[in-house]
Amino acid sequence: MTMQLARANGAMARPELLGLSPDRLFVVVSRLVALTLLVVTLSILSPHFLTWSNLINVVRHAAPLFLLSAGLTLVVLTAGIDLSVGAVLGLSGCIAASLITGGDPVLGIAAGLGAGLACGLVNGALVSYAGVPSFIATYGMMWIANGLAYVFMQGEVIYGLPAEFRLIGAGFLGPIPMPVLIMFGTLAALHVLLHRTPLGRGIYAIGGNPVAARLSGMPVHRRLVFVYAMSGLMASFAALVVVARTNAADVSLGEEQLLPAIAAVCLGGTSLFGGVGGVTGTAVGALILALVLNGMNLLGVNTFWQAGVLGFIILVSVFADQIVGGRIGRAGGAT
Amino acid sequence: MSATGAHPQLVKRSRALQLLAELPGAAYLLAFMSVMLTLATPEFFSVANLTNVALQVSVLSIVAFGMTLVILTEGIDLSLGPVLGLCGVVMGLLLVGGWPPLLAIGVALVIGAAFGTLNGTLVAYVGMPPFIVTLGAFGIAMSIAMVLTQGNSVTGLPEYVRLFNDGVLLGIPVPIWATAACFALTYVLLYHTKFGRYTFAIGGNRQALILSGSPARFYQVLVYVYAGGLAAIASFIMTARMNAAHPTIGVGLEFDAIAAVILGGTSFEKGRGGIIGTVVGALAVGVLRNGLNLMGVSTEWQVAVVGLVIILAVSLDSLRGLNQ
Amino acid sequence: MTISRRQFTAGTLAAGAATALGTLPSGSAFAQGSKPTIAFFVKNVTNPFWKACRIGAEKAAKELGINMEVVAPTKPDNIEEQTRLVEDWIVKKPDAFVFVPVDYKALVPSVQKANKAGIPIINYNNKMTDIEKVTFIGSDDALFEYEICKYLFNSMGGKGKVVHIDGVPAAITAQMRKKGFERAVKEFPGIEVLASQPGQYRRLPASQVFENLMQRFPEIDAVVSANDDMAVGIVEALYAAGRGGKTKVVGIDGIPDAIQAIAEGKMFATVDFSGHDQSYLAVQAAVRHLKGEKVPAEILLPVFIIDKSNVGKVAKTPEERAVPSWDKVAGKA
Repeated sequence: MTMQLARANGAMARPELLGLSPDRLFVVVSRLVALTLLVVTLSILSPHFLTWSNLINVVRHAAPLFLLSAGLTLVVLTAGIDLSVGAVLGLSGCIAASLITGGDPVLGIAAGLGAGLACGLVNGALVSYAGVPSFIATYGMMWIANGLAYVFMQGEVIYGLPAEFRLIGAGFLGPIPMPVLIMFGTLAALHVLLHRTPLGRGIYAIGGNPVAARLSGMPVHRRLVFVYAMSGLMASFAALVVVARTNAADVSLGEEQLLPAIAAVCLGGTSLFGGVGGVTGTAVGALILALVLNGMNLLGVNTFWQAGVLGFIILVSVFADQIVGGRIGRAGGAT
Repeated sequence: MSATGAHPQLVKRSRALQLLAELPGAAYLLAFMSVMLTLATPEFFSVANLTNVALQVSVLSIVAFGMTLVILTEGIDLSLGPVLGLCGVVMGLLLVGGWPPLLAIGVALVIGAAFGTLNGTLVAYVGMPPFIVTLGAFGIAMSIAMVLTQGNSVTGLPEYVRLFNDGVLLGIPVPIWATAACFALTYVLLYHTKFGRYTFAIGGNRQALILSGSPARFYQVLVYVYAGGLAAIASFIMTARMNAAHPTIGVGLEFDAIAAVILGGTSFEKGRGGIIGTVVGALAVGVLRNGLNLMGVSTEWQVAVVGLVIILAVSLDSLRGLNQ
Repeated sequence: MTISRRQFTAGTLAAGAATALGTLPSGSAFAQGSKPTIAFFVKNVTNPFWKACRIGAEKAAKELGINMEVVAPTKPDNIEEQTRLVEDWIVKKPDAFVFVPVDYKALVPSVQKANKAGIPIINYNNKMTDIEKVTFIGSDDALFEYEICKYLFNSMGGKGKVVHIDGVPAAITAQMRKKGFERAVKEFPGIEVLASQPGQYRRLPASQVFENLMQRFPEIDAVVSANDDMAVGIVEALYAAGRGGKTKVVGIDGIPDAIQAIAEGKMFATVDFSGHDQSYLAVQAAVRHLKGEKVPAEILLPVFIIDKSNVGKVAKTPEERAVPSWDKVAGKA
């Protein structure tokens, strides 16, 4: 708490550029530089990299990752965490795919999104009204969503979704893949929500200084529920795109999605201490992750190194932010 | 280490009612499950099965002891699972290569401590969020373990390794002794040393401690080092249990350990909680999983039930204001 | 072990027509009047392969009138959790374990505990050593991959550019399949291996890896995938990139989606790796052992390649699939 105030004061004391404090400016510039460097390096190292089809590939991989981590970003902005996003993605994907192949696409999409929303609402209620730490509430939800998906699927895989539905994952609008359009549409909508509405400003306030937020008479509980509900909803939205892209759904859909999603949020410069960051950064983070994975594949790097490289990138990026922000040794210890 | 032991023991003290109110939800859960399972299944309340449960929670408990200390400092260590895997793999490779066991365990301890030092330094001195730091270390430890083994199990360990799982001393299997020893060590460190006093104090008062010029940061690093060291010890028990070391064996264990710690009543904030609660939390998880198996609950439902029980137990604590 | 496709199809059909219901319980385990209980292990409840196994086993259990309980870890393929499951089930003392290890080495100590407790072990799918087992029932993965690769390479006239998509590199099945692939490649000097990368036996990672490989290699004549789920993902990726129909894709397993892709001409061939048959025979073996019958020490299923010519005759779901004849597959041993 004291730390949050101290940081806010520190940021105010310094000069601002383009409406950004110097350390925020560094986050933005460094990520763009990293993105550019990656593109340049990969273009030199691999002749296949800078082709239209490969770049489309990269953005298509980044899109579902972005959708998943965008919802998570909102939670992280309130200094919380949502460990259930991967499992919720799996559960909603299975429910949606099952109803869609059963012949009712509208109901399927609604049910899939509804399942995600429901999981998110429960998370939000547990965190805000029952006061359960977000880590534990969403960890429990991870098990519950996985369990429900197991019960629902009974070890089945659903194949063969209708072509019209598949458009949202595999289709194009002109030369641009649908997932990319969805990604940028969502990004714009969330950006407006966060920066142009009282609700969005409230989310930053809750993460930056919860006590002040409460004292200001803001409906903190309801906003927290909203944030977790959005996270669940975005996870199920990501599920629809993934299912449409792979043309199949099973319970393993959400496996190994959680850590990349958290990584994208951190790479995007959103602080796990809350109150600082945004969805634009997360989009850049998702792009960087997709580029790195694409590059490692193109260059034929042993897949065993992937986890380590991701871990290293996260450490270096947050380390650099700490140094430039002059926060070394100042920050407190809350997770 | 019997499943019902912790509960009556605590109640016997003075101010019994007060204590009863402060007991973590996991204690009630444990007592309730033990009674129900004893009534519902003939197998549960037998020496064989209770030994079983104790054996099954030994690795989890040892990791959770270290995790308790980290969480008491308002930190978290996601890397403990993969670090356990890496320690086990390196130790396994060295033992297969004919190294003397003490030296191999020594190397594993150094690896665990090294990751602890990395995590602790970045958290305490650089001020990075523990979640991120240890998530980074998670990936790095996992990759190194995978590359060292190419994803395979390390087998062909010397005969004596298995004694550390199968061996029995005074009627009690070795892993349970090891867990008890780790508990005793952690207990003494936490409640009778400067290290322990700092561990409690850092949670909630870190800023004030640093400003007053005390070596809080140094002790914060030590907490992560200790957790890494315990993970190395746990890796030895795990390796003995499988008679093999596997690079991904620990992945996921970190989340289970955190759940056990929080179930045991330790709070993410302000250094509230303790090590005895963690034992109760780990046992509650162990009895729950064992009970679901004995009751023949289908795997699909088990997954959902585990999540539900964790949320219920912690909600109970939160609503009583125990972990605020 | 290899028999011709037609021969095996005929055998399966005949077996289906004359499902063995004949034998009545008479042995020692049955003499006490109570139904024996068998603990049937699978690696997870998430992959359809293990569902097929469960269905095969349930058919045998129903047919033979025994209790069967399915035992699976809640975290898919988790070694530590399966160890706990074995320990818990030793306490419950079923009459037999029909067992597949999630790791064929790391599960040895716990299965040895079951040995010590006197529970007979029928090992299926992944072979274990260093344990006492009644029998092993499964398939020779290396031979399966070798045969399908030989079939593929011959169809390509013995030359062309091939991409190999591996499974989970640590899994014994993936290692054996890779060996089979390498053996076949060695025999065909005209075959050039462009790349070999793991796809984790799962569709999404495999299709992502393959999408990236397509960027690297504008021309790919064939893809050898270590299982069908990945193979179908690769077929989808090829068609999505407008490169469908030019690359021959083969897999292993014979999952419904692959069978459909073969029927539509999108995928080239697969090998029938029948979990359904393995587990059916494994439960049969367990009951026969409990009755005091002699069971062969190892039962390996024959190689059966599914391609466009015979795909119409293949059952689409494990429920519809005819059970194999014990006497045909195991009786001769």
